[in-house]
This record gives sequence, structure tokens and C-alpha cells, in this order.
Amino acid sequence: MTQGWLGMTKTTLKLNLGPQHPSTHGVLRLILELEGEKILSCEPDIGYLHRGMEKMAEKLSYIQYLPVVDRIDYLAGCFYSELFCRTIENALNIELSERDKNIRVLLLELNRISSHLLWIGAFLMDLGAVSPFFYSMREREMVLRFFEKLTGQRMMYNYFVFGGVRNDIGYIDDIKEIIKILPNKIKDYERIITDNPIFLARTKNKGILEKSVAANYSITGVNLRASGISYDLRQNDYLYKGYEFNPVVLQGKDAWARYKARILELKESLNLIRQALDKISKTKTQAKTFISPLGIKLPEGEYYNEIEAPRGLASIYIKSLGDNVPYRLKWRTGSYYSVNLLKKLLLGEFLNDAIAIAGSLDIILPEVDK
Amino acid sequence: MNISELQNVLKESKIENDKLIISKNLHDTILSIKDNYNFDILKSITGIDCGNNIELIYHLYSVPNQEDLLISTYVTDSAETVSDIFESAKADENEIYDMFGVQFDGNADLKRLYMPEGWNGHPLRKDYTGNDTRLAWNDENNA
Repeated sequence: MTQGWLGMTKTTLKLNLGPQHPSTHGVLRLILELEGEKILSCEPDIGYLHRGMEKMAEKLSYIQYLPVVDRIDYLAGCFYSELFCRTIENALNIELSERDKNIRVLLLELNRISSHLLWIGAFLMDLGAVSPFFYSMREREMVLRFFEKLTGQRMMYNYFVFGGVRNDIGYIDDIKEIIKILPNKIKDYERIITDNPIFLARTKNKGILEKSVAANYSITGVNLRASGISYDLRQNDYLYKGYEFNPVVLQGKDAWARYKARILELKESLNLIRQALDKISKTKTQAKTFISPLGIKLPEGEYYNEIEAPRGLASIYIKSLGDNVPYRLKWRTGSYYSVNLLKKLLLGEFLNDAIAIAGSLDIILPEVDK
Repeated sequence: MNISELQNVLKESKIENDKLIISKNLHDTILSIKDNYNFDILKSITGIDCGNNIELIYHLYSVPNQEDLLISTYVTDSAETVSDIFESAKADENEIYDMFGVQFDGNADLKRLYMPEGWNGHPLRKDYTGNDTRLAWNDENNA
């Protein structure tokens, strides 16, 4: 300790960021140790949104648990529904019809778009730019309205069921409207954000995530691909078979690259939606051959599935002893590891950059706390 | 690297449900697998309460070879840490400590994660009754 101005002692300051800070997108508490504005250590404190998802699964039958899984990540609920349904379908050897598969791809990608759009707005708001939030929410609203018409819900859809989807697809015109309007809007975002000097100053070379560090911290999804590692589960996913798709891989490694990767992913998702619409138009509505959701029992064994969710690899593990409830169910979510990465990524950065860096990782807390 | 090829290399291991079961030297085995066969991502560690013991499943992934590998081991209440090999294991081990009460030797950062400090018991254990004194419906609170 050294004697400083007005006899004050120079020492470090502990700062609580959150749990109600607007830029943490939920209830994340970061305990930062600061020297001036420089971060010496970061300790995430999570669990404010813990709902006992895994314990709950051991008490509820499979059909009772189905509406719960959307809530693991309420901004991208379709992905967790898909994972859960897929596991049951694999275990019971239920084959999906082509039409249902394509409907699922369509909804997954629309869900990804709504998730990424919210992120773009929220990230820019973290950096102090308010208007992009309204723009991206305006476009997201189109997607949410479509979901509301189709499923009756704006966020937690509960639309995928074991063996297909709840209702046949409708409101195709709404989707066509979205894929007509959105590319122009993305161009607009790029025009006002991507090369904006203030935005560049806040994000270029900030929060650099090296390949080896990303792998070591088990980072997946867009964050990993923005660090130059090409790993996208959609390439090998059975739902996406027959789709033309190029994973977005950038070499930038910084917060700007993660932003750019999400913008490019939006375009890629639109591309997939166009293909899905095309495939859906070639198939006819079939009589549903749902299995009765009541009394589902998984044969004894272990089941594992994974999917490319907007925030990284999401996976499910079910161990069944042949009962109508799982013996053990485990979720693996992308954000959980991103929070852990903050310990490393924020070291030596300034406090104002910490918001930009944490924001660029697209952390969502319900997914972390489970 | 095929799982059965790997089993031939590693003595005292067996394959069960597509998992490589290891009974001892977990840390050194995972380290050598990581170094020799390019398994660079630890996707997750899953804990399962099997009654007498707790099964830990380590899910490794190799980006260059695009391969998954499941390694499983059975522990009672303490295990070797792999957090010096994979940083992400710190988060997984902390979760398993919180939910199953498994101590990881060499991982000093273990603390309550989802549960509050001082919570009784570990919720994902099968013998957990949920009868913590802090719960509003606990009899002791109503007495």
C-alpha cells in the first residue's frame, strides 16, 4: 500500500457487477477486483435463476417434462425441445416424416434468427448505442408474431412433440415476408454498425479469444467459430441432411469478429429457411401418426444427443432404467462455459471493456443456471 | 482413434455402452489421451448417482479428427481433478461438487454454485430428501 492523494491508501476495489446489471442479460453477478479501472480478478457468481431442471426431470414423466425444456433457454426454446424430442424418438425408434423434419429445421432457424437479433440489439445497447436495439427488436417482432400465430406462444413454444410437431405449418406468407424484408434490414445494420468507428474502437482487438484457450475452456458455437475453429454440428445433423450450408468461420478472435459472425449466421439461417420452405412446399400434409405421449417408457440404457444451439453446443444425456421417468438427465449448455471463460477473458481489461467483452459472448442466464 | 483401439492401448479398461471405463489413474489417462490423440475439447463431465458410487462420464471431443470419446469412472466421494488439463473442467467439477458432493483432489476452487452457501446435502444424490432447514415447508421452521 502506498500513500496517495489526500492521504488515501492505494489499494484495490471490489466491485459487484450485477446481479441486476442491465448488461448481464439476466441475473449474473460478477465480483470484480479493480485497480483503478483495470480488472485484476473476476469471479462469476451464478445460481440466481436455478430452477432444478435436472432434479425436476427425475420426478416428472417425459410428457410432463416436455413443456419445461423450452424454459432452459427462453430465447431459443426450440433447440431444447428438439433435443429432448429427438432423444425420445431415437430411443423409441420413431421415424419423423420428411415434412416434419423440414418444419423443424424451419422453426429452429427462425428461432436462431430471433435469438441473434435480440443479441445484436442488446450488445449494441451494452456499448451505449440505443437505436440498434429498437431496429433489431422491430425485426424480431416479425418472427415472434409468426411464432405466436403458429404456436400460440411468443417465446416458449412447446411446439415440438415426440414424433413430429404439434400442428402442421401455416402462415407461410409471414415467413416469406420475413425472408423478403430481413436481408435488407441486415444490410442496414451493417451500414450503421459494422464499420462504425466508435463500434470498431469498442470491439476491435477487445476480448481476444485464442484458439487454444477457446478449446481449453470448452467454448463452442459462434464464439468458437469466430476464433477460427470450424466446428458446426449442423454439418453432421440428421435434420439438416440435404441442406446446403456453409458454417461461418472467422479468424478475427475478438469481440468484433463474434459480432460479424452472428450477422453472417443470420444470412446463413435465412438461406436454410429458404431451402426448408422449398422442401416443405413439395410435401403434402400427412395424417399424423403420433405415438401416445402417455405412459412413455424409455428402454433401459443411456441416450445422448447434441445440437447446435445459438449459444453453442447443447446436449442432453438421459439414463433410463426402463421407468416412465429418467433415472438421470443432464443438460449441457453453451453459456455455462462462456461464464467460466469470463474469469480468464476479463483479466487485465478495463471495466468499460468488460461489458463489451461479456456481452460479445452472448451469455444467457437461464441456460447457465438450469 | 477408435474406442476399441484405445482400449487395446490402455490396460485395465473395458468398454460398456460405448464408454471406456477406467478404474484408476484417471488424470494421467486423460492427459495422455489428450496429448497423443488430439482430444482438445472436454465437452462436459456428467455425474450420475448409481447408489453405492457415483459415475463420472468425461466427454472428450477432437476437433481435428471430429471424434467423440466417452470415458467413465466410478468414484465414491472423491476423485482426481482434471482441471489442470482442461480449464473447463473447473466449471464441471464445481457443478458435480455442488450437486453430488464429490470432492476433486487438486481443485481448490470448489464451492457452492447453484445452492446457497451452507446448504445441507447435495440435491442430485438419490438419498437427498430436500428437507433442508431453510425450506419454508420444513417442519423445524413451523415448530
